[in-house]
Amino acid sequence: MPARAPSPAPLRRSWLTVAWTLMRLSAILLVPLVWGHVIIQDMLVGVHKISLDYVAMRWASLGWRAYDAALLCFAFAHGSNGLRQVLEDYIHGQTARRILRVALFLFWLSITALGAAAVIGGVRQ
Amino acid sequence: MLVALKIKRFDPERKPAAWWSNYKLEAAPGDRVLDLLVRAKDELDGSLTFRRSCAHGICGSDAMRINGTNRLACKTLVRELGSRITVEPLLGMRVEKDLVVDMEPFLASYRSVKPYLINDEPLPADGRERRQSPAERLRFDDTTKCILCGCCTAACPVFWADGEYVGPAAIVQAHRFLFDSRDRGAGEHTAALLDMKGVWRCRTIFQCTLSCPREIKITQAIAEVKQAIVLGK
Repeated sequence: MPARAPSPAPLRRSWLTVAWTLMRLSAILLVPLVWGHVIIQDMLVGVHKISLDYVAMRWASLGWRAYDAALLCFAFAHGSNGLRQVLEDYIHGQTARRILRVALFLFWLSITALGAAAVIGGVRQ
Repeated sequence: MLVALKIKRFDPERKPAAWWSNYKLEAAPGDRVLDLLVRAKDELDGSLTFRRSCAHGICGSDAMRINGTNRLACKTLVRELGSRITVEPLLGMRVEKDLVVDMEPFLASYRSVKPYLINDEPLPADGRERRQSPAERLRFDDTTKCILCGCCTAACPVFWADGEYVGPAAIVQAHRFLFDSRDRGAGEHTAALLDMKGVWRCRTIFQCTLSCPREIKITQAIAEVKQAIVLGK
């Protein structure tokens, strides 16, 4: 009979621990970010009053750019990770799961990079 | 009262697919579903197959799906169900015959969390027991109540979707030792819970808690295990 590993055996983490924790933290951050976005854009301003001037006004503020970049980053990361979890209920092969994770990561990275470039970089006059 | 008992049957030696058997039985409201099954087997159809052992809610061998909910047949009274009772084997587990399912994958998940006290430290100076306070004992009291019936795991939609998932029962067992002040094997108990088969698959659906015949707060126990791993205990 093999000898048991000497105790105490400390708790370890895995990348799934990190993914789970980030899912919770991003959810907490998304509550003020999404509600703030919905209340301001849809209720206080109104979608029909969002014009190029309004967008230019928001772009002029570094704070709003940071807000929108954070919203994009956390919302899309949260959604992509959620999609991974749902799809992994149906995709059981290890290779297929690996391909799925890489594809979703690249999807998240490219959309976030494009969005961040637009939100932070602004438009050329 | 006359009870219409409908049982999902399966016997690969007789038919390749499952079928339903219907029985009519006289029953008292205080009769248990197990009593009806025993009478159906003794009086109507000797080929009906199911597990039961203690018949008093302790051994956990007669877990089955009764009127759509996982329960122990020996703890479920006719008066809780009415005159139409449908009995099926547990979902998500391979059916061997009638209400008997293959528990081996479930028990393999149970073994994977090393469900025993791990402590290689020397015994206390008096050479006797490792003592703990009533408060320390209370910390994991709820999860000591598990009888490994499988009701929780077989009620979990994540387990239905992916039978590789260790399931709530195994995590409950990990909790029982993880929060035991005498145990020093936290990393060993949780090693099997870190990958895709492990605790992170739980979506806090609460089906496990709702179906537990021992009323263990399973979803809370799973959340505590997750928290312990994230925070390093």
